[in-house]
Amino acid sequence: MVKRATIHAYWLMFIATVITVGVVTSSQLIADRIGLLLDRQASELLAGDMVLVSSNEFSDDYREQARRHSLRVSQSASLRSAIFIGDDPQLVELKAVDGAYPLRGKLETAREITASRTSTTDIPARGEVWVDSKLASLIDTPLQLGEKSFAASQLLTFEPDRGGAIFNLAPRVLMNLDDLAATGLVVPGSLVRHRLMFAGEAADVLRFKIWLITNLQPGEELQDLENARPEMRRGLERTRKFFALAIVLTLVIAMAAIAITARYTATREAPKVAMLRAFGVSQLSLLKYYLRQLGALWITATIVGVGIGWLMQFPLQWALDDWFGRTLPQISSFRPYLNAALVGLLALAGFSLPYLVNATATPPMQVLRTALNRRSWLRGLLISGSAVIAVFIVLMILMQSSILAVATLALVLACALVLPLILGWMVRALLLSSRRRFWLRQYLLSRLRATSRGAIYVMSGFSLVLIAILLIAVVKDELIGEWEAQLPENIPNYFLINIGSDDVREIDAFLRQREIEISTPYALVRARMVQINSVDVDKIDFADPRAAHAVTHTFNMTHAAELPDQNHVVAGTWLSDSDDLAQFSIEQGLAQKLDIELGDQLTMSVGSQRLQARVTSIRSVLWENFKPNFYLIANPELIESFPQTWLLSALIEDANKADLKRLLQRYPSLTLLDVSELMARVRAIVDKASVALHFFFLFALVSAGIVLLAAIQTGKHEREVESSLLRALSANAGQLYRVHVLEYTLMGCLIGFFAAAFASLAGWVVSEYFFDMEFQLSVDAWLYSLASACLVLTLAGTLVSRRVYNVSPMKILRS
Amino acid sequence: MDTPEGKLDILDDISLDVKYQEAVVIKGASGSGKTTLLGLMAGLDRASRGDVILFGHNLTQRNEEQRASIRAGEVGFVFQSFHLVQGATAMQNVMLPLELGGVSDAYTLAQKSLQEVGLQSKSDTLVEYLSGGEQQRVAIARAYATHPRVLFADEPTGNLDAASGRQIADLMFHLRDRSGTTLVLVTHEAELLARGDRQVMIESGKLLTN
Repeated sequence: MVKRATIHAYWLMFIATVITVGVVTSSQLIADRIGLLLDRQASELLAGDMVLVSSNEFSDDYREQARRHSLRVSQSASLRSAIFIGDDPQLVELKAVDGAYPLRGKLETAREITASRTSTTDIPARGEVWVDSKLASLIDTPLQLGEKSFAASQLLTFEPDRGGAIFNLAPRVLMNLDDLAATGLVVPGSLVRHRLMFAGEAADVLRFKIWLITNLQPGEELQDLENARPEMRRGLERTRKFFALAIVLTLVIAMAAIAITARYTATREAPKVAMLRAFGVSQLSLLKYYLRQLGALWITATIVGVGIGWLMQFPLQWALDDWFGRTLPQISSFRPYLNAALVGLLALAGFSLPYLVNATATPPMQVLRTALNRRSWLRGLLISGSAVIAVFIVLMILMQSSILAVATLALVLACALVLPLILGWMVRALLLSSRRRFWLRQYLLSRLRATSRGAIYVMSGFSLVLIAILLIAVVKDELIGEWEAQLPENIPNYFLINIGSDDVREIDAFLRQREIEISTPYALVRARMVQINSVDVDKIDFADPRAAHAVTHTFNMTHAAELPDQNHVVAGTWLSDSDDLAQFSIEQGLAQKLDIELGDQLTMSVGSQRLQARVTSIRSVLWENFKPNFYLIANPELIESFPQTWLLSALIEDANKADLKRLLQRYPSLTLLDVSELMARVRAIVDKASVALHFFFLFALVSAGIVLLAAIQTGKHEREVESSLLRALSANAGQLYRVHVLEYTLMGCLIGFFAAAFASLAGWVVSEYFFDMEFQLSVDAWLYSLASACLVLTLAGTLVSRRVYNVSPMKILRS
Repeated sequence: MDTPEGKLDILDDISLDVKYQEAVVIKGASGSGKTTLLGLMAGLDRASRGDVILFGHNLTQRNEEQRASIRAGEVGFVFQSFHLVQGATAMQNVMLPLELGGVSDAYTLAQKSLQEVGLQSKSDTLVEYLSGGEQQRVAIARAYATHPRVLFADEPTGNLDAASGRQIADLMFHLRDRSGTTLVLVTHEAELLARGDRQVMIESGKLLTN
C-alpha cells in the first residue's frame, strides 16, 4: 500500500526522468549514427577517412601503424604525362592506384559516353587503363604511357576524390599501381603526388591521426574532412552544430518536465512530511528517505529510458533507409547510454532535490492546519542554484563547444527567471483591470495566479519548451534555406578550363549563340607567394600550422573589375580604378592563415617574373557554391600582361551535349570538367542532412507533446477539485466546459506570445554567433507560436475537460 | 458504491424528513456514512436505489445537470476545508455562485454578504492570506449570498480552533435565524450538536436516532 502511494506520488517525475534519459540516449545515438553517415558520405569524396599527401614516397611505417590501428590503407600516385592522340600531344593526369582503392565511395565507368554507367570498387586490371570521357576516342585502342603500352578498356566517368584543385585537371588516365614502375615515368625528380588513404572506425582514425600528426615528415600534408573540400566543410560543421543545438534544446524540454513535476511532487509530499515531522522524524532522516526514493527512481527510470531511447533510433533508421536506400551505420560505443544515465541523475538531482529539501522543512504545524510553507531566500537560492549547475554540467557533457553551452544556459536561465516574473506581473495587471465582475475572465486569471496550482511555473516551463521548438524550427529552416540557396537547380554543371586568351571571346560567343547559360570568363594566372611585406615567406614563422602548405601552394590568381557573385568584402574596399593599380583582394581564410592584413604588400612570382601589390580588401567566399572562386584577385591592369588561360562555368543541358562535342573538336586544347556528379553527391549529403534535421525537429516536437501531457497531469487533481466545487456551487456543464477550455486558450496565448518573443531573441543570437548566418525576424514564427500554442493547449484543455467536467461534486466533500 | 473489493452499501434503509427552516444535525463515527448522506440530500450524488426528494424533485431520477439546476440558487454549502478559490479575493469568492447563477448585481450582493459575516474590510484580500476562521466566514458568506432555501454544512468547524469554531457556529445559526434557511449539518462538535433542532445519529450506514 505504501509502495503504491509512493509510486503514485512519484510517477510524473518518473515519467519526466524517463523522457530525459530516453531523449539523451536516442538523440545521442541518432546524432552519432547520422554524424557517422555524413562522415562516410563525405569520406567518399576523399576516397577515405583521412589522406596523407606528399611529393615523396611514404615510409612503410605509416602503413604498418595504420594496420596496427585496425585501419585499411590504400595508396595512389599521380603525375602528369603526355600521350599522343594521332599526332597530337595531350597532357593527361595519370593516376595509379592499388587494389584497395577507393576505401570509401565507388568509381563509375562506362563503355562509351552515351552508355549507362556502372558503379564499381574494382580498378583497372594490369595492362589496362580507364580514361576520362574526353579521351573517349581512345577506347579499345592501344595507349602508350612511357615505355609501356596499355589497352584503354573503360571510360572513367566518376572518381570520388577528384575534387580539390579541380581547375588544374588535365584529362584523367587511371591505371593499376603495379604497372607504374614499368612505364618508366617515375624517375628521380619526377613531380609525383603520392597519396596514402586510410579508413576505419572513427575512434581508430582519430587515434591514428594523433600518432600521425606527431610523426609527419616535412612536405607531408594530412587531409581529412576538417581541412579538405572547403565546399563540404561549412555544411558539415553547421549540421553538427545543429545536432548539438537540437539535442540540448530537446534536453531543455525534458528538464522542464522534471522541473515542473518535481515541484508538483514536493507540493504533494508536504502533508506527508508534516505528519512525519509531527511524529518526531528528523529533517535529516527525511532527507535520507527522499535520497533513497530518488535513487530508486533514477535507477528504474534509467533502465526504462535507455530501453526506450534505444528503440527510438529505429524509426529514423527506417525513415532514412526508405529515403536513401541505405542503412545508417551502427555504433558500438556505450557513451550514449552512460551519458544518458549521468544526465538523468544530474537533472533529477539538480531539479528535484532542492524541492524535496524544501519539502523536508515543511512545518509540523501543517498537520493541524494548512500553513504556507514560504520559501526562504536561502532555499530559493538553493533551488535556482542547483538547477543552474545541473543544466550547465549537462550541457558541458553533451556539447563540445562550451560557448554554445554557456549561451544555451544563459537562454534557459533568462527564460526560467524572467518568464515567471513577467507572466506573474501580466496576470496581476489583468486582474486589476476589473473588480466588479469575477466570472469568467477574472476567475481564469485568478486560477493562473494561484500559487498552489503552480500554473505560472507550468506556463513558464511550457514557454521554454515552445521556445526550444521554435528555435529548432527557425534554425532548421534557415539552414535548409541557405543550403538550397547555395545549390539552386540552375547551378552550372560544367567548367571550361584551359581556354586560350585568343579563344575566349569566340567560345563565349559560341555558347551564348546556343543560349547556354555561362558565367563571366575569368583569367587564370598561376602564381606563388614569395614575400609578405618584403620578407621571404620561408623565413616567416607563421602561427597557423597550415600556413606552410598555403605558401608553397600555387595560386590561381584572377583579375576582375567587379566583385564575383556570393563574395563579400569584409574589410577594406573592393579593387578601384585609382592611381595605384597594384591592388589585391584576398580571401578571408587565407588572410587569417597567413596573418595578412589590409595594407600588407604581397610579392608573387609568375614564372620567372615577379609582381607586387598591396592588399586593399579582404573577402569572404562561399566555397560551397560550385562557382569559380579565387583566393587572390587583382586589378586587371596588374596581371593581364602575364601568361594566362581562361575559365568559365556553364549550365549545359543534355540537348546541348552535341554542341560540346563540336566545341571540343574546334578547340582541342580546351578541357571540359563535368561537376554534375560531384554536385549530385553534395546535394545528396545536403538532402540527407535535411531529413535528419526534420527528424530532430519531429523528435523535439514529440518530447514537447509528452511534456505538455505531464504538465497537464500535474494540475489534474486541483482541476477536479475545482470542477467539483463549481459543480457544488451549481455551475452547469457549459460553464465548466468554458472555464477549462478558455483557461488553456488563455495560457496558450500567453505562452505563444512569450515563446515567440524569446525565440526571436535567441534565434538572432544563435544565427549571428553560432551559425554565421544573417538572422531575419520570422513573422511566421510569431504566427506559428501563437497559433500552435493556442490551438494545442485549447485542444489539450478540451480533451482534459472531457474528464474533468464530468467529475462528481461529491469529490469536494471527500477531498 | 463500486470499489475494487466489489459493491459496497454505504447507506442502508434510511428514511429521513427535514422540515422547512429546521436545523438538523447529523452525527456519527468516521466512516459511518454521514458525508454520503449529506451528499445525497444535497443532490451532489445520486442514490443507487430509493428516493431523495428535494423541494419536490426526486433527485434519484435526475442526472447531474438536472440536479445542478435544482441546486442553483436553492442550496448552499459550507465545507470543512473551506474550498475557496485560491488566487481570488474574498469578494470574488462570494461573487462566484451569484455570477454562476446569472445574478446581475453580484458585486453589491456579495458586499452585503461579506458585511454580514464581518469581513467587509478584507473583501479585497486574497483568501490564502486569511486565517482559517476568516476563510470559513468567507465560505459562509458565499453560501448565504444566494439566499438558499437550504444550507448543507460538512464539519464546518472541524478545521478550526475552539474560539473560531464557536464564532462560526454563532454566525451560521445567526444567519439561519435571520434568513430562515433550513440547515443540515454534519458535525462531531458538541456545541453544534446542542444547537440543532434535531439530532440524527448514524452508524454503519443505518439511522439509529431520528
